[in-house]
Amino acid sequence: MNRRSPTRRIVIYGGALLLAFFWFAPFVLVIIGSTIPEINLVAFPPNWFKDPPNLQTFDYIFTGKVPETYEQRGALRSMISSEVRDVPRAILNSFVVATAVMIINVIFGSLAAYAYARLRFPGKRFAFTFVLMSRLIPTVAIAVPYYLIVQSFDLINSFWALILIYSVLTLPFTTLVLTLYFRSIPIEIDEAAQLEGASPWRILKDIGIPLALPSIIGAGLFAFMLSYSEFLFGLFITTTRERRTLPVVLGALSANTDVSWNMMMAGIVIGTIPTLFLAIPVWRFMVRGLTSGAIKG
Amino acid sequence: MTQATEQHTTAKPVAALRKERRAPGGHALTGLLMILPAFVLIALFTIWPVARAIYQSTRIESPIFPSQYVGFQNYRDVWNSFYFRDAAENSLLFALVTVPVLVVLGVMVALLLNEPFVGNTALRIGMLLPWALPAAVSGLIWKWIFLDSWGALNAGLYSLGIIDTYIDWLTDSNLARVAVVIVFIWAQLPLAAVFLLASLQSVPEVLYSAAAVDGASAFGRFRTVTLPGIRPMLVVVALFELLMAITNFDIVYALTQGGPGTATTLLTYFTWSESFRRLDFGAGSALAIIIALASLVLILILVRAMPKGALVEEEA
Repeated sequence: MNRRSPTRRIVIYGGALLLAFFWFAPFVLVIIGSTIPEINLVAFPPNWFKDPPNLQTFDYIFTGKVPETYEQRGALRSMISSEVRDVPRAILNSFVVATAVMIINVIFGSLAAYAYARLRFPGKRFAFTFVLMSRLIPTVAIAVPYYLIVQSFDLINSFWALILIYSVLTLPFTTLVLTLYFRSIPIEIDEAAQLEGASPWRILKDIGIPLALPSIIGAGLFAFMLSYSEFLFGLFITTTRERRTLPVVLGALSANTDVSWNMMMAGIVIGTIPTLFLAIPVWRFMVRGLTSGAIKG
Repeated sequence: MTQATEQHTTAKPVAALRKERRAPGGHALTGLLMILPAFVLIALFTIWPVARAIYQSTRIESPIFPSQYVGFQNYRDVWNSFYFRDAAENSLLFALVTVPVLVVLGVMVALLLNEPFVGNTALRIGMLLPWALPAAVSGLIWKWIFLDSWGALNAGLYSLGIIDTYIDWLTDSNLARVAVVIVFIWAQLPLAAVFLLASLQSVPEVLYSAAAVDGASAFGRFRTVTLPGIRPMLVVVALFELLMAITNFDIVYALTQGGPGTATTLLTYFTWSESFRRLDFGAGSALAIIIALASLVLILILVRAMPKGALVEEEA
């Protein structure tokens, strides 16, 4: 095999550069855009770098200090997009909801998965299939009834509604992954403990959970990430600015035709940082799942 | 790795035994108790909404009118509506374009990442960001790139002297469609590629050597060894991306709001605007049930079409 032929190298590096450009250029552009005064950003002909870049948009989001360029124009732009100041709070909101969903997933998911993997009880097959099949219903199909149910409980604009909905949406996958993982643990370990007289609860607590811990954390983080990113339900469940989650705040900005773009980009930069920290552990979990067969394929 | 060998050695003889040994019996109550919280939560919030949607779909239901039973009227209205046909066509077109493109590009990217080159690891780690980003945020980032009036793409092309006047990326129907497709591919390609890469790496090296000995060309090796090896994963990726394409909502909402006109109004966006903008929950529910049934049929067809063993664990 002529691995190192010049043509081959050109194709490989060319392709890699193209991919890197495609994937990363938008992020670079957003970071640059967030530091450029809006006047220069919207100028025609384009003149982004007329004034030195600055971090005043970030200053505004965190402290409320209006950037100089807005004051210079005399009349304060009415639409300075004060919604971007909701971004830090929205991140917090998303975190609260996603953490609760993660905890529910970890506890309920591990319990159910262990039972599906190791215990015998009536209706097991049916219950397992039902849980998996429930996710085949497209979310948009249950959006309206969910809304009406949430409304009849007077839970519109509450985190509880979001936590409940996201748990229902993420639990089937968590249960599946953990069931497959528990099955892969040698049964002999359980039997030894059983001979010692340990109950299933005890075996789960002292053997199952410690052994499956990396997978449990991975599945939990995966549920966290899905909840953190969810948009459709967040959009209609949350109705006040104080309760909006991050995707909803940023999504609503996009519908605002008078949005201030450098502000919005600063909002995106801040909103993306938590994702950066989450991405790597979740990714590891996915890849490990793939290679060990925990995710089917 | 140890797990794989363990499976091999214990595979057949123990498989039958295992079933007995795994279930010691006498713990029926414990088992039921353990699945209870998750099961009740999922069952309650699956059966109830679906039942409610079916009930709703047979009624005029909106905050401004009194509720009233109308039989299949909502279904007829939806089915005969021009906007429904339009949205259905858009969704179909969107899936028909994005799924094959994602599968083909996914294979190409996986083949690329399987080669050693400087920056390979950086690319693999970096590509998780587009995937991990909330889709609504992806739509927003790209909205600024494609924006007609001062978007980054127009500004860049103009500064480089490639164009003289700004291009209406988001207000021209066809360009807006292309834009939605590009953003969707940007966000979905990393996952497709990494799934295919994992499958690529599980193809035994021996088969390649054997094909090389037989004098197969690079393309011949790809066709006779790689492709059959990754076929199950190709199906899984296609199926997964099809589901993602059908349920795509966030990107459309953030990027185009379904516009210009209805050019990028996919079924999901249409359902949303029907229900929550026009506040017609009856028609919205009828629409939702039509979509649910359609995707169910689609899933069943695909599961049928799938090669054996693609979705079942290869345990023993």
